[in-house]
Amino acid sequence: MTVIRPADRYLDQPYWQHLAKGTLHLNCCNDCGGAHHPPSPICPTCRSFNTGWKPASGKATLASYAIARHSVHPSLGDKVPYIITLVDLEEGVRLVSGIPEGMEVDLHVGMALECKVVQFDDRFALPYFVPVGA
Amino acid sequence: MKTSIIGLGQTEFSKNSGRSELRLAMEAILAALADAGLEVNDIDGLVRYTWDNTSEAAVVNALGLPSLKYYGETEFGGVNCCGAVAQASAAIEAGLASCVVFYRALNARSGVRLGRGERILTEQNGHWVSNEGEPPGDIYSAPFGLLVPGQHHALYAMAYKERYGLTSDQFTDMLGGVAVTQRTYANNNPRALLQDKTLTLDDYRAGRIITEPLRVYDYCLETDGAMAMVIVSRERARAMNAKAVDVLAAGQYIFPGSVPMYLYAKRAWSLAPEEAGEVLFGKAGLSPKDIDVAQIYDATSMMVPIALEDFGFIGRGEAHDFLTSGGNGPTGALPVNTHGGLLSEGYFHGLNTIAEAVRQLRGESPNQVAAETAFITLRGASSMILGRA
Repeated sequence: MTVIRPADRYLDQPYWQHLAKGTLHLNCCNDCGGAHHPPSPICPTCRSFNTGWKPASGKATLASYAIARHSVHPSLGDKVPYIITLVDLEEGVRLVSGIPEGMEVDLHVGMALECKVVQFDDRFALPYFVPVGA
Repeated sequence: MKTSIIGLGQTEFSKNSGRSELRLAMEAILAALADAGLEVNDIDGLVRYTWDNTSEAAVVNALGLPSLKYYGETEFGGVNCCGAVAQASAAIEAGLASCVVFYRALNARSGVRLGRGERILTEQNGHWVSNEGEPPGDIYSAPFGLLVPGQHHALYAMAYKERYGLTSDQFTDMLGGVAVTQRTYANNNPRALLQDKTLTLDDYRAGRIITEPLRVYDYCLETDGAMAMVIVSRERARAMNAKAVDVLAAGQYIFPGSVPMYLYAKRAWSLAPEEAGEVLFGKAGLSPKDIDVAQIYDATSMMVPIALEDFGFIGRGEAHDFLTSGGNGPTGALPVNTHGGLLSEGYFHGLNTIAEAVRQLRGESPNQVAAETAFITLRGASSMILGRA
């Protein structure tokens, strides 16, 4: 299975390296404890540069979703229909995510989701969020 | 603001202009100057989007402008349609320039298509990869197949649909009320790409789903062409007896997670906090009930209900009732997108949205309503109120 991925130079960044090892980590502030995404060199809450990484709980709620039925790129021609989601993590950050290919789900905004990291090769994995218990 | 828009110029809208963006820009700028009653050498300022390919230097060189005293870009594209006018106005009020042209040229159908992922992805080691740091198509969203603006709009649409508990039929009829009303406006508009194509609510309902919950008729039209407008001080506009429309208020308003694609904005069903409208209306000394006609940047039809609610023209959750009862139509409480909008006139990155407001206030719209004031917004990121001079 192939999916679109970040260019190679990004895969050495901590966010992607943690995923490649199987866990979703969030960029966080070592001073105030807040998490932020996308990763940033400064905490948007207390403006500290003392940032690091912590494992996400994996608990989230569904903020929205959409079902792509029209392919907007040749590489997506055999993927449609697929589901794109916006998920709000317990840590207070939003992630773009999706539902793994082939999984049947019944979605509604506000439902509880949990993280499922799907590995594509030893350098690259993605954080999907699926209904709890699915 | 103490400025006025005194000239509009454009090429035809088409799917294939057959000429370069530089050539299109020149045609639009000359047409705008002719409309304003000015000469090329009167231009001493230029503004454009960072996403525009025709640089200010290219314009100066192509026109042989003796000098340019001010030029500046506003970030992104249509996000700043009103921001560019605010910037031009600020430059004029600060004395940096006296006659500023805002231009946009793009072959968005025959050239690089904004609705396609080919502009985002490249091949690397047998994989399709993203190199983008910001949406659309950034490294955090492209792997999930989220590549183009139209997909983002489907996410706002679903968040709205579920927040207000609309059934699929109610939701379809709400956006159908946007698309069908605007097509009817476009049918009267000789500039509209879809002037000759009618659209009924049944046609709309039968439309192909692109990204659920949005249908093909909810999407704007990738368009080739160019537009330009001329901005001067209100004082100068009066002195030259121009066909002026006054800028009563213009500004920008963004917040964390908002531009360019609002992926990380907390309220996925709203695109501007109430403060954005309060600031804008406060500057103009007006309130939503004082607005006679609204031109809302409609890259998709979903932008219309969200903007109507975000700016207080209607209450939260009232868009379905407003749009299914013709509130946005020619005899409605607030006619909206009377040129047909980006959905049916053409996608001109907000310049045609502004141009229609100007035409309404000049009395030159193909769907003229009684209008002394006009409101324009792109998601609240930049907004403007214009008044009849």
